[in-house]
Amino acid sequence: MTKSTLRRLLVGAAVLIAAGATATALASTSSSAVTRARLERDLPGTFANLYVQQAKILGRPRITVASLHAKAQCDKGGPKVADHGPGTDWICLMSWDDPNVPLPDGSGKFELNVHSNACYTAGGPSKLIGQLTITDTKGDDVPNPVFEFDGCFDPHGDNTPTGVEFPKLPSTTTPLPGQPATAGTPAVVSLGSGPLRLHDGVVAIPLTCSAGDGGCAGTLRIRPGAATATYVVAAGSTTTLNVPLPRRASRLASARLAFTPVIGRGPSTLVETSITTG
Amino acid sequence: MSTATETLGPGAAAAGIRPLPTLLDAVGWEVRKLSAQIRARAVLLLMVIAPPLIVVIVNGQGRPPKDTLFGRYVHDSGYAMPLLILGFASQWVLPMLTAIVAGDIFAAEDHHGTWKTLLTRSASRGQVFWAKAITSIAFAIVAVVLLAASTIGSSVLIVGHQQLTGLGGQLIPSGTAAWLVGLSWATALAPMIGFTCLALLLSIWTRNPAFGIAAPVVIGLTMQLVGTLGGIEALRPLLLTTPFESWHGLLAQERFYGPLTSGLVASAVWSIGCLAAGYLIMRRRDFTGG
Repeated sequence: MTKSTLRRLLVGAAVLIAAGATATALASTSSSAVTRARLERDLPGTFANLYVQQAKILGRPRITVASLHAKAQCDKGGPKVADHGPGTDWICLMSWDDPNVPLPDGSGKFELNVHSNACYTAGGPSKLIGQLTITDTKGDDVPNPVFEFDGCFDPHGDNTPTGVEFPKLPSTTTPLPGQPATAGTPAVVSLGSGPLRLHDGVVAIPLTCSAGDGGCAGTLRIRPGAATATYVVAAGSTTTLNVPLPRRASRLASARLAFTPVIGRGPSTLVETSITTG
Repeated sequence: MSTATETLGPGAAAAGIRPLPTLLDAVGWEVRKLSAQIRARAVLLLMVIAPPLIVVIVNGQGRPPKDTLFGRYVHDSGYAMPLLILGFASQWVLPMLTAIVAGDIFAAEDHHGTWKTLLTRSASRGQVFWAKAITSIAFAIVAVVLLAASTIGSSVLIVGHQQLTGLGGQLIPSGTAAWLVGLSWATALAPMIGFTCLALLLSIWTRNPAFGIAAPVVIGLTMQLVGTLGGIEALRPLLLTTPFESWHGLLAQERFYGPLTSGLVASAVWSIGCLAAGYLIMRRRDFTGG
């Protein structure tokens, strides 16, 4: 019994390995069902449907799927990676028409985790589409339907290019002098909205680092006063930098910030901001 | 083929002792043997009892299980939960359910040393084979139907029959959603039969009940892993686990049926291939050695 069982198992294993090897050889020449064109066709429709749900929750019934004109341009893993196949590195820029939500860069950036079964999970920029929960017209907190959503597209669907191409406008992608423009998608540091808060001679500076390679780090000079600070912010996160100001600068009402990024990028010009004391 | 058992049937009939057993009789024996098994009864009972408990527990969670499709909508619609459970069950629960019976049904005769007794009951090997195959497939279908009915029923009762957000973000009215959820569960039947035949083949081939039950589950998990890998996606249509995901097309805004069709083909090829291989092995086996 044991000997013949062992032989059967060995034969079986050999058959499986041979079948697997043949199949892998066959498959290695193949293309994926997950393509840029199919994503660009599916994502805007799904987003528009869910955005209309969100608009209803927020009490803005005049927004319809047709009025949104949602369009997407998708890319996998930067310019060096072919735009097909599953992965967590799909980025889709999407534009839509909502008079209440202007898109400063002309589009919003969505990060997609696309699976080999042609289903994906998309997460959008919370500045444009809101947080995890939103407040409905009755004042209750409800889940935001567009904050993160799933979709599935037809793996045999239309695969001709959509031709959607956004101008390479987003200020965040302007290369800085001395930095190679081709390096993936570097993270970009920016100043949080609202005035800086000054308390006991220490100014709190909210910093945001966009998702990208390596996060953001560098030095920051505050003028006038010439205080200098070093910032390190992880990609896709926000932090508050507390910088002690020289005594003569403790009553500033406004300041200009100069970023000198070492990792990632930053605003190339001085950033004007106001300061509140208290 | 040279065993005396095969020729016993016709001889007995010619002597006018008793009419030859039909395939139906053989199925009847198998069903009786199966229904005497505590394991089989427990599985069917579990299919009815477990879903309401799972629905109550998942529904009580503050954070919905977002990493599986429809998980994020479990609190919004009673039709999301059955799809969440379908997605989860097809990972390994469904292959295991059918393997518990199909992986054991041939090997148990080896295990108990009852082949000789069975084959001298004037039934042909072919009849015994088909009776066991039909019984196993019927068990698989009954298990899926019970699980689906209990899951859909309990989640509609507990969560409600609200409209459902589909996989294209579209809102599906309650009545349509009920149909689509039922159909989605029905699509699991084809790969389920495929796994049943795979378990039958392993049961015949290895003559080992433990292997017959465990191997289909392991093979299913392996196929799933292969199916998620990028770069070898041309293998996906060949895998027996891919048809378990073909219901996605039903829930899209513009329904697509391509994966359903290729899933049916894949399930049929696997089923027929495994049954044919199992049949050949059984025909050629020498049972006299014990």
